[in-house]
Amino acid sequence: MLQTVGLLALLSVLLFALVNLAPGGPLAGQGQSRHIDPDKAELLKRQFGLDKPLPTQYLVWLVGNDWMQVDKDGDGTLDSYGTRHGILRGDFGFSFRTRQPVLTEIGQRLPNTIYLMTITMGVAVLIALPIGIISAIRQYSTFDITVTTFSFAGQAIPEFWLGLILILIFYAWLKNPFTGEPLLPPGGMTSTNSVGFDLGDRILHLILPVTTGALGWVAWYSRFLRSSMLEVIHQDYIRTARAKGLSNIKVMYKHALRNALIPLVTLLALDLPYIFGGAIFVEILFSWPGMGRLYYQAALDRDYPILLAVLIIGAGFIILSNLLADIVYAYLDPRIRFE
Amino acid sequence: MYRLKLTSLFFIIIFVVTSLLGCQQNAPANSAQNGITIVIPEDPPSFNPIIADTGYDALVMELVMLGLSDVDPEGKVFPELAAELPTIENGDVVMDEDAGTMTVTWKMREDVQWADGTPVTADDVIFTYESIINPETGGWIPGIDYIDSVEKVDDHSFTISYNSIYPGYLTQFGGEQVVIWPAHYCDASQGFASWECARKPLSNGPFVLAEWVNGDHMTFVKNEKYFEQGKPGIDTVTIRIIPDQSVRKTMLINGDADLDMWTNEQMVSDLQGEANVSVDPSPTNRWVMRIFFNLAAKGTTDPVATPHPILSDLRVRQAIRAAIDVDTISKEFFLGYAKPAWTEFFRPPYVCDIPRPVFDLAAASALLDEAGWKDTDGDGVRECRGCKTAEEGYVMEMEFITYAEYGEPLELTQQYIAELLGKIGIKLNLTVVEGSVLWAASTDGGIEQSGNFDMDIWDDGYAGVDPTDYLWSYYSTDAAVPDAGYNYSRWSNEQFDTLLGGVYTLDEEQRKKDFCEMASILDAELPELLLFTASNADAHTVRLENVQSSTNDLVTWNAANWVLK
Repeated sequence: MLQTVGLLALLSVLLFALVNLAPGGPLAGQGQSRHIDPDKAELLKRQFGLDKPLPTQYLVWLVGNDWMQVDKDGDGTLDSYGTRHGILRGDFGFSFRTRQPVLTEIGQRLPNTIYLMTITMGVAVLIALPIGIISAIRQYSTFDITVTTFSFAGQAIPEFWLGLILILIFYAWLKNPFTGEPLLPPGGMTSTNSVGFDLGDRILHLILPVTTGALGWVAWYSRFLRSSMLEVIHQDYIRTARAKGLSNIKVMYKHALRNALIPLVTLLALDLPYIFGGAIFVEILFSWPGMGRLYYQAALDRDYPILLAVLIIGAGFIILSNLLADIVYAYLDPRIRFE
Repeated sequence: MYRLKLTSLFFIIIFVVTSLLGCQQNAPANSAQNGITIVIPEDPPSFNPIIADTGYDALVMELVMLGLSDVDPEGKVFPELAAELPTIENGDVVMDEDAGTMTVTWKMREDVQWADGTPVTADDVIFTYESIINPETGGWIPGIDYIDSVEKVDDHSFTISYNSIYPGYLTQFGGEQVVIWPAHYCDASQGFASWECARKPLSNGPFVLAEWVNGDHMTFVKNEKYFEQGKPGIDTVTIRIIPDQSVRKTMLINGDADLDMWTNEQMVSDLQGEANVSVDPSPTNRWVMRIFFNLAAKGTTDPVATPHPILSDLRVRQAIRAAIDVDTISKEFFLGYAKPAWTEFFRPPYVCDIPRPVFDLAAASALLDEAGWKDTDGDGVRECRGCKTAEEGYVMEMEFITYAEYGEPLELTQQYIAELLGKIGIKLNLTVVEGSVLWAASTDGGIEQSGNFDMDIWDDGYAGVDPTDYLWSYYSTDAAVPDAGYNYSRWSNEQFDTLLGGVYTLDEEQRKKDFCEMASILDAELPELLLFTASNADAHTVRLENVQSSTNDLVTWNAANWVLK
């Protein structure tokens, strides 16, 4: 636990320094302008707190400035206490771009990302499981060879290309034979004119992004499960199970699969941070208002508070999911015990 | 079997829960018959363009808010909230020539209301001004420092006192950036830069914001209280955030989108031949692609103490001008849509007659020979052989930088220019950097401000109709100091500075004359080499009529006039 806190503290220093020390800055040609009037730049620096030395900026970011006097009107004298509480007290500041609290911005995007990513990963696992199992049981069969080929293709196809092709086929080319409208929407979470919660509309909007996002994972998980299964089914205890007359299905599912799943579950736990971070290409292509796009936009705009919040929360998620992976592993595999 | 059911149940629960999580406010039904959809790549940060100036903020602002005035595509200023434009002729502008000050009295329309029925008055203007100048929470608009006070005359008129002659007064509280905010609705304590009413605006323009689903779409409905009778001609405007350009294009072709903002050359070209899409470029474009010459040695900012070994010689700059084939760049990389531009004064109201430079590689070579740059070792690159600006034998090799965000056409242009200059013996090493690195302050390591470049190519130009402040910041001696302005060439010319001081006047004839004299000086001395303007166009479906692209404002500047065929 102490280690985790120490790691996060170290990360916070590193991330803050990296983001701030990268060449360029948020005041260089905001938006469409190529220059900012020096007076405006001075005002923005003060409003953003960029007029302070970097160590002070870090301190304010971490613990806020409501305990110290600041010069709010730029007249050179300290006039009142600051209003920032710092990330340790849950205040991640405000976005330079929208002037909205960072947590509001993240709050608007995070549910959409969790929604898309959970379903994408769920679908990926549901498809990958049977593929991996059958490939292992029928090693070198036509099915295995076909699936292997597609798996490599699935991992090799870039998401942005696959997404565009899917949009081209299912939005631009194929039409719904009854209504004459495109078969699937080109993006978004719902139709802009949908009223109330329309499950059908939501599913239609999910098909393409989930397919694009899940393909790589299906390939990756199914390959992983296949090799894990292959390793297990050649173990002695599987032979023993067969020898005592258990049916093939029972051997496979009760003895082989349950053991083969252990590494996969760990892998899944390690992939959990994606549920927070989102998939940037899928979000851009399918106009999905998620975390990936928020982060990408913030990176382009040098919107430091958003960037830092996503990075540090993301880092927290990664550390947590590693912890979770360890715990799950220990739970699933009785041979592992933590001292 | 039981476990399988449990797993399925788990996923069903996850689906339902996450669906509900992702479920935001539901959209009001779009009037399909008389509604349009605009597609843009990113969310507007707010309805206040002064804060982040992304263009998308101004796009949505023009749908719901009005300023005192605005500018049409031809550069003509017209009144919005103002009943008429104040001028010397109608007595609303009074000059004190001796003191060098002026007062402007604005008379406002009396028939404009906020969407809640409250009239728009002079109090709103004063509230807006005071919110902007608040040093703690305010913003900054051009010329704000020239204002001494804004005082109410009556409910629908007020006077602005200037401590200087400010030629840009007509659009100071209008144009594509500044609007008047409702005093009774906006919470002054939240501050101009971050107040809630910039995200949930109270409309006095043609449309009212009905819904904003962050990152997804915005819906606007007709403002029933809009002051122009019979307008707007459209009932609903939906703005959808579609980050990918090819998806926006396909939606336009499919008829699922009616307008794409800032359509680039590639897309304009792709859309040709699509029967249901029309692209009308604006009559002019403010953004001029140009080369900045660093007259000081790379890494320094004083051209007198440390002149640039190559570019400080005017003949070299002239040779580079003669060696660039703008027509080919337009044809090959901008698909024929780029228009040559060789002076800052190429669009109304200030158009100066400066002869167009001639593309002539032989003349360019002759100029370099004359300047003492010759290729004596036969490696294709010239060296200083008797030049006045560098040591003997100094190789004519420089860095040529551009920015990445513009995309392929600019990078190809950069490569082509390097190829052309290579033909006359100038070797250019190409670099592409992020805009935020190129334009940052010198304290943030900005390349331009630190003087850490030889030649750069990027686009800029003055917004609106008054070039005065722009000329000051790019060409005046005062702006030739790091972070004071953007005179990155560090060029200095006394005569130009004097002329610049003289154009802070309202005498239009004098201004035109002075601007054209400045144009001649810039043409003769070449601190920057202006090349061309790319197209400024917005593609729209043919069923949407009266769309007029403008370089002076966003395409929604006349949205009240739009109708569906």
